[in-house]
Amino acid sequence: MNTLNMVLCGLGGQGILFMTKVLSQAALRKNYDVLGAETHGMAQRGGSVVSHLRLGDVQGSLVQTGAAQTVLALEENEGYRNLPFLAPGGSLFVNTASPSFPREEVKAFLLRHNIYWHGVAASAIALSLGAPLSSNLALLGYFSAFGEDPFNHDDLRAVVQETSPDRFREKNLNVFDAAFEKAMEEKGN
Amino acid sequence: MKQEIFLGNGAIALGLLEAGCQVLTSYPGTPSSEILPEVIRLVKSANLNTYVEWSTNEKVALDNAFAASVAGKRAVCCMKQVGLNVAADSLMSAAYIGTKGALVIISCDDPGPHSSQTEQDTRFMARLAKVPVLDPSTPEEARRLARVAMDLSEEFRIPVILRPAIRVCHARQSILYGDLEENKTKSAFEKDPMRWAATPRFRLMLHGELNGKLREIAKRFEALSEFNFHTLEPGKRYPLGIVAGGVPFAVVRDILQAQDRKDIPVLKIATPFPFPEGLVAPFMDACDRVLVIEETDTLMEYFLRDKEKVLGRLSGHVPSEGELVPQVVHRTMNRALEESHVEPLQGAEDPEVMDLVKSLDLPVRRPTLCPGCPHRASFFAIRKNKPKAIFTSDIGCYTLGLNLGAVDTCLDMGAAITMASGFYHAFSQDGVDQPIVATIGDSTFFHSGTAGLLNAVYNDARFILVILDNLTTAMTGMQPTPALGIRADGSRGKAVSLERIVAGCGVDFIEVLDPYDLKKMNEVLKKASAYIHEPEGGIAVVIARHPCLIAYRDDAVPDRKTVVITDECAECNFCIERFECPAIYHDQELGRTNINNQLCTGCGVCLSVCPKGAIVEAA
Repeated sequence: MNTLNMVLCGLGGQGILFMTKVLSQAALRKNYDVLGAETHGMAQRGGSVVSHLRLGDVQGSLVQTGAAQTVLALEENEGYRNLPFLAPGGSLFVNTASPSFPREEVKAFLLRHNIYWHGVAASAIALSLGAPLSSNLALLGYFSAFGEDPFNHDDLRAVVQETSPDRFREKNLNVFDAAFEKAMEEKGN
Repeated sequence: MKQEIFLGNGAIALGLLEAGCQVLTSYPGTPSSEILPEVIRLVKSANLNTYVEWSTNEKVALDNAFAASVAGKRAVCCMKQVGLNVAADSLMSAAYIGTKGALVIISCDDPGPHSSQTEQDTRFMARLAKVPVLDPSTPEEARRLARVAMDLSEEFRIPVILRPAIRVCHARQSILYGDLEENKTKSAFEKDPMRWAATPRFRLMLHGELNGKLREIAKRFEALSEFNFHTLEPGKRYPLGIVAGGVPFAVVRDILQAQDRKDIPVLKIATPFPFPEGLVAPFMDACDRVLVIEETDTLMEYFLRDKEKVLGRLSGHVPSEGELVPQVVHRTMNRALEESHVEPLQGAEDPEVMDLVKSLDLPVRRPTLCPGCPHRASFFAIRKNKPKAIFTSDIGCYTLGLNLGAVDTCLDMGAAITMASGFYHAFSQDGVDQPIVATIGDSTFFHSGTAGLLNAVYNDARFILVILDNLTTAMTGMQPTPALGIRADGSRGKAVSLERIVAGCGVDFIEVLDPYDLKKMNEVLKKASAYIHEPEGGIAVVIARHPCLIAYRDDAVPDRKTVVITDECAECNFCIERFECPAIYHDQELGRTNINNQLCTGCGVCLSVCPKGAIVEAA
């Protein structure tokens, strides 16, 4: 099996570790060997946070630059900062409300390397559902509309349902579903 | 069997319990902090009898674990790499004395460094102390090496260090495991003063004994083929081979496997000390040159004595600082391959994308204190009250007081106090009245504040010490402090009063306050300043006590205020620069300073920050 590499990024406190946990669990259920790397410590106080996820026969927990099929960014600038990880033909998902996403010079790069990009206002979706701290679930829900095995929609949703703490479960699912619907609408157009 | 995704530190916890760990002591520090909570989680789920404690510092932790091993138990002590400096005195002596049960020391390294003062390499501490060190490449290997460490320690009666680097500790990996069983070994102390209380005459003998153990262990390591092996084909010669261990081995292995490069042999060593010379010799013979890729410092490279043949840090091929991430390893390997006239690896780094990212001028994200953090209030008051002071500080979240201009120094645990007294004497020697304000967190004070405070009181230093008491060990993940009376497993301990310790160190000025009350803090700092200048005065200690907003999410801000910025705002940026709350920002679209209500915790401290009084409570 080929290795599947993913990079998740954003700022400390945005819930990147939870997002990584959901993806890891989904992969584990499909019997993938899962290996990942997380940021802990001082950077969690609002600094740049990156988490790596690798599936397949690998031993090193870090993704090499140019080797990630997917980058999920909870913040636009952090998405740009992690562009070097993207492999040609990969996909970039960014939480952004900016109509000018992606920046012109970035767009040229993405086009040249056949990298698909998706901008979604994940924070706005989360906020509109009264869950301002759940941008991570909105981005995940959006991504699930494009995800391929083992990250397809139903599996990711089931993991969100099971791993969310009781008091956040309903809100988490609402946000996840709303973002998924949004992606499906966009795909329909 | 169960399958679960473990954090590397959880895999280590699992391995320790599988190997019968009966006692575990630790002081938290990134990247080691999760080992102890994971041990507790597994102990509770399997209903084991393992004794676990958060000790007040690493030396205390190691001494406690050492005693348990002298009593015949299987004991473990965990810490971060700089924590081992604190415990070094114990380690060096314990190596000579030896153990009875097992004593495994886990010291987690931080190449990068991501969350440490230095990039020091624990393997050197092992070499210095003359104890074996094991260097895992993955969480799964760390789990298996935990058992090797435990068995080796007990068999040879020697402390053994397991050195996982941050990419093992904070990796996550799916791991298959079975039921845990209790180790029922009972304590027994055999009196043997010539060993347990050895005088220098006996220490010489013990040193000889230790050297003998190391020779035996080196031989044992040569045969440890599950962890130490090479990929040579019999009779074949190679222009370049790679010697690697720990995390860099995993990176090298993945690169070679992905590109199917069987023409580049690898010697993998998980036991860098004592160095398994016998295993290395045939590899060196079969390769014209070898490239050594190891973290964090140069250890194996020193043991490979053939300078003509060996490429590594000493030859300038491997970077001497920073983490060996895959792209760095890739680049390093390619240079060595090219120089050895071997086909290079595919997929060279794309300089275009690096240049692109650089050209985007992305904002540097410096970590900041959380919105509502009580330390912010303390630092704001301190800076305002004593603008000309030298601000000595310490290790913890509050090092971020840097951003508020209220932290000038950060050396090591406890140095806020010792550097304050050092500065005081250096300036007073010249007859200069230099104001000095030291800040230290509650857990750091318990860790190593008292000796420095005793010394400062005894030698009549004069400064203000603010103990930033947020009732937890915040930076490393909210471990309880001795003041709470809650122990590692959640059971009740005896609460130790910070005030009584400070008084016990001989301090007569102690004021306790809530730093959210800036006015009160200001008054107390003035009073403290007067006190340190009195002839009969001394060190003034202010305990700024308010719960951490992460640890006490639901009740750290009982009286939430809704804050707005009025038209009185002169856009002077004072609040943004000096108070630096993430919830106060300059709104580009509105062209004015604004409050981010999603981030704002309603602490209301900023209400007394604006010089124009433009930050007010909403009507």
